[in-house]
Amino acid sequence: MIRTIISIVVALGLILGLTFYELNYVQTTFDQLHKALEALYEKSESATASYEDGVAVQAIWEDKREHLHVWMPHTVLQEIDYQLNETLGFLYLQDYANALPKVSLLLGITESVPISYDFRLGNVF
Amino acid sequence: MGLIFIRTIIIFVALFIVMRLMGKRQIGEMQPYELVITLIISELACIPMEDTSIPLLYGIISILTVYLLHQIVCLVDLNFTGAKTVLSGSPSIVLNKNGIDDTQLKKNNLDVSDLIESLRSEGYFSLDAVEYALYEAEGNFSALPKKDYQNLQSSLPILLIDEGKFDKKNIELTQKTENYFLDVLKNHGCKDIKQVLVMTVDGDGKVYFQKKGSKFEVFHLQWQETLW
Repeated sequence: MIRTIISIVVALGLILGLTFYELNYVQTTFDQLHKALEALYEKSESATASYEDGVAVQAIWEDKREHLHVWMPHTVLQEIDYQLNETLGFLYLQDYANALPKVSLLLGITESVPISYDFRLGNVF
Repeated sequence: MGLIFIRTIIIFVALFIVMRLMGKRQIGEMQPYELVITLIISELACIPMEDTSIPLLYGIISILTVYLLHQIVCLVDLNFTGAKTVLSGSPSIVLNKNGIDDTQLKKNNLDVSDLIESLRSEGYFSLDAVEYALYEAEGNFSALPKKDYQNLQSSLPILLIDEGKFDKKNIELTQKTENYFLDVLKNHGCKDIKQVLVMTVDGDGKVYFQKKGSKFEVFHLQWQETLW
């Protein structure tokens, strides 16, 4: 019986530990990316964003992405990759009219992804 | 990951309730929760293995959750007698000194022919050769034979009436008509075939007869010769 109780405590500890680490890690990572994207959005809005600004955001993302593969479905990460590459293309051409909606979309994704990890009824079902 | 933990618990509980409601027929030789774990774990292991876009950790967390639930169920099952009945069920005595207990059979989604089949697989061919028969909590079948049970099953009994309905093929084997057996029923106080839970006859003409909600009777038909 003691062995069973210990195994329950260990398993529960592992699950809860991993759960809270994951929640915190995803939230922090996406917060950082969100802040970088917000800065890029403001610059794009004032038509001062350069291709290098986009590359800087991409560097932040690529640094995080490798670890995120452990915690998240890879399709979500691919979507961010795709949208970020598109944004870079528009920034290279200094096409701010098209770059802005892309950055806005990325801002939306970085807000919604951590929310999808919250303990909400809608997320459970 | 937290969501996967909760979702796995929900699926486990839902499957477990369904398995308990399905009764012993579906279980085989496992406890209901063991079957649920077997069902879930094979899928859990496969999905992240197959789909590389799903992190392997998702599968590991689900399996760990199932393990956790298994340990909790085991702990409760071993230490709380009341909970054991709820989790694993209890044995159902389907045949006693009064005959077949129809209510217990229905409770486990079984019928008379299932019972006869189970008895035969245990080596008891005649319903009156057995004192008690029961389905264990994990679905196994056990029977306690009468002392002289071997003398009671000299010929293979066949099912003539199963829960108010004639078995036409078996009636043909007896070389008698349905009316003949309806008369037999009338002589034993049964006017409507729908009242009959079971009626079997063996080659020597020995009849096992039980009305719904009544004690069984055994009598012999006056046949000229042994039919099989």
